[in-house]
Amino acid sequence: MTEKIISVLTKLRQFAIENGITATFFYHEEDSALMRFANSAISLNTNEHLVRLDITAYEGCQRASYEMITNLDAIEDMQQGVLQAGEIVKHAQPLNYTPTIPVYQETFIEEDAYDPNLAGISNDEKLAYFNQAVAGLESDQVKLGGIFSSGRNILVVMNTQSEHALAHVTSDAQITIVLSHKTLKWELIAEQSAQKKDDLDPEKIHQELSFLLHHYQSDQAEQIPLGKYDIVFGPAAIAELVSTMNWIGFNGGMMKRGYSFLSEDQLGKRVLGSPFTLVDDPTQVETFPFSQDLMGIKREPFTLFDQGVFKAFTWYQDDADEFGAEPTGHTVMHKSLVVSAGETPVNTLEELVKAPREKDILYIPYIHYMNFVNPSKGLVTGSSRFGALLLKADGSVVVPYNVRLTQSLLDIFSEKIAWISDGQVAYNTSMSYGARNPTALIVPNFVCVKDLEISHANSSY
Amino acid sequence: MQQKIKEQIDRIRSQGAVYVDSRWYPNEETHNLTMWNGNLKNASATRESGIGVRVLFKGAWGFSASSDINNLPGLFEKALDNARTAAERVTFPVRLAEKDAIQGSFSSPNRIDPFTIPFDQKVGFLKKMDDLLNQPGVSQRVADLTFIRKQILFYDSEGSEIEKNIIEVFPSIGVMGVDADGQTHRRSFSPARLGDTRGWETIDEDLFTTEAERIVRELNQVLTADSCPKEERSVILLPGIMFLQTHETIGHALELDRILGYELAYAGGSFVTLEDFGTLRYGSEKLTARANATVPNSPGSFGYDDDGVPAQDNLLIDKGILVGAITGRQMVEEANATARKQIFQGSSGANRATSFYRVPIERMTNINIDPGTDGTLEDIIKDTEKGIVLDGDKSWSIGSNREQFHFATEIGWLVEDGEITDVVKNATYQGETLKFYNALSAVGDESTWEVQYVDNCGKGQPNQVMQLGHGVPVCRFDNVRIGE
Repeated sequence: MTEKIISVLTKLRQFAIENGITATFFYHEEDSALMRFANSAISLNTNEHLVRLDITAYEGCQRASYEMITNLDAIEDMQQGVLQAGEIVKHAQPLNYTPTIPVYQETFIEEDAYDPNLAGISNDEKLAYFNQAVAGLESDQVKLGGIFSSGRNILVVMNTQSEHALAHVTSDAQITIVLSHKTLKWELIAEQSAQKKDDLDPEKIHQELSFLLHHYQSDQAEQIPLGKYDIVFGPAAIAELVSTMNWIGFNGGMMKRGYSFLSEDQLGKRVLGSPFTLVDDPTQVETFPFSQDLMGIKREPFTLFDQGVFKAFTWYQDDADEFGAEPTGHTVMHKSLVVSAGETPVNTLEELVKAPREKDILYIPYIHYMNFVNPSKGLVTGSSRFGALLLKADGSVVVPYNVRLTQSLLDIFSEKIAWISDGQVAYNTSMSYGARNPTALIVPNFVCVKDLEISHANSSY
Repeated sequence: MQQKIKEQIDRIRSQGAVYVDSRWYPNEETHNLTMWNGNLKNASATRESGIGVRVLFKGAWGFSASSDINNLPGLFEKALDNARTAAERVTFPVRLAEKDAIQGSFSSPNRIDPFTIPFDQKVGFLKKMDDLLNQPGVSQRVADLTFIRKQILFYDSEGSEIEKNIIEVFPSIGVMGVDADGQTHRRSFSPARLGDTRGWETIDEDLFTTEAERIVRELNQVLTADSCPKEERSVILLPGIMFLQTHETIGHALELDRILGYELAYAGGSFVTLEDFGTLRYGSEKLTARANATVPNSPGSFGYDDDGVPAQDNLLIDKGILVGAITGRQMVEEANATARKQIFQGSSGANRATSFYRVPIERMTNINIDPGTDGTLEDIIKDTEKGIVLDGDKSWSIGSNREQFHFATEIGWLVEDGEITDVVKNATYQGETLKFYNALSAVGDESTWEVQYVDNCGKGQPNQVMQLGHGVPVCRFDNVRIGE
């Protein structure tokens, strides 16, 4: 699959050398398909085949890039791109550091996370999946929405400093199924991430949606009082919060630029709660991992927090170059973040609802539109969405209207963590902005945190 | 190429498609230059070309796109095949509102094409800005230039042929500093759109020089300021934050696809229902909002949308009453049929795609608030007993039905008895959309009205990032919860 691409890039490399241009080549090819549902119909069925080539040229400390959408047979077009990059870089102002260009020691092709059966899944199979996942759940008022996003993704990098290439091939599917009430406007969600076709399990989705639907159709709905709650976060919410930490927490470049709630003097100190352990683990195939980063550095499990103790910042090569840090193998399209499981045998919503409790528990499966209010304090805000439940101490269940949570990540993942599920799930966080980049985190099914403040509660759905 | 596309449209039409269109982008280019603390961190150019095909078959859409235009029959066939599958699950067969077949063209007005400006000159501008921003108190300084130039050729099976040539210019500068508590604060500047054009000529170095000095000065005020108090006050929103308030709680809330539930899987819905049009009091009588795609200098103006419908200026909220929405051809038909009355007379010309490989969806044009009669900013401050003036978007988070929101701003100035007293840091405000707009108590006059741009509005799946504008005045809202 990558043979022709490497052959074309080799020709481009030769062309650049002949023209005296030092360059790196980043090739991205995607076959993407997305079936989207709304109002119980297929509202959009789309596919695209796109080839992107990003050429970065260097002259000492000067750097400039030229990115093109092209096709693999358009070698002359690509050569023009090389010349363009070579021209722009002449006018670029020198950086105050020297950007590193990797020298690959061997060609490395990574295809472990590729399944042709998933990459080529047909329209009929996707439709059948949806029909099975929501069988009997739709009605005049309850409507189906969601997506089945699937595809094949190929990355190949090469440069003029060595004749070798790195290639990364993945298949992926991200499935989101939403049931929404046409007039009441509540929404329920069940999601699945697949790296291979066998991961697809519409029956599991059906079970989750059935359980939530039962509660939303039969339990009382109410505006809950503002104040402090013990909150159980579901996988989507946990993944969102941890992804935010990846952005304004342990990212070395962001820390140096003042956009982090962590500092270098916190290294080796307990800054989060002892139940919290977070590792970047490229051995987990469900995270669509990179075994080597784009600089050719072999990636091993990398501990970020060990029982709450902050262990390390991660560094992109360019940030490491600029700030004089040691690269950590994190020049990747995405990390493979894994939040360690706990010891509590509560792993399904049904088990959570049935579990004995001494006080009310607010279940928040999903945080909508989260944003950073104050990165220096780790302060974030967002609203609950997609099937929150208030589990009353007396065993009853109330459907809460959506609430807003404005909290520091330092508080959420502090010693306030009451318990963590002993089971984990791969949660797909792929975004469909720009180039396809299948991404997933492995997170516990639930994390329960004590005494978190709700800053706003809706008065209706 | 044009002839080949038309042949394919006719061929797919003959296979049972009700409607076919294609958008061919022969060339789309961007230039982006970012200087961060004196380092030219990003000097990049992009170029893309390709074609997107949309097919309506038995009431369902299929779409296909490729950067390889050498296999047009295969591309059109794939779009039809996708529509055939979609037609197996149809609940409301897609119908398109009437429109005229149009042979037209549109070019965004500009005097100087930014792509003709030498690279050295652009870098020189950034370097000058970087030098100006390199002042005591500033820990991080950023200067950014982004340019877009694209040609779009639209053809549909109803006989429309439209060519669009669009140029956009997005300059900005920003500074950050660290206060005594170790917290980072920022102040930024993106120029309002002045004049009638939108090319390189809109980058006024003198203005940037003045504004660079201002944002450094204001950053230093923030760095030594107390935190914003937690209480209720009148908030006076300058255009630098009012544009985003408008964007998030009027613009997105009034996209008809959201109202009809087409974005529930991701972006969310709207608290607005079809029954609300003509009756819902969205805001006080001082609130008049419109979707105006004819503002010449704004990226929300594009001549014709991607349904081939001409740009329009439509009221959304008239003296507080909800009267209109942001619509394309498909959604107005479905809305009228669902409501069993004609709420919408036709498409408002707001169906747009961000690139050839994305399908058009309802997008904001220029969602503007009309200037009011409450005078200048100074007049409004004088008329405020206990308030806070806010500017600069730092963070924004909105409920999934746009029913409530939380914004953080770059700077706040407390107002006591008609006078500005202190600068405060970490100023935030939050509220519920309808309650908030019904507490609109003052709207500034023309002197306060500015067109601000948004170059990163995300929506849809697959996700699309769109450019648009907001012409807004200074507005005051009473009894708003503010705090850290």
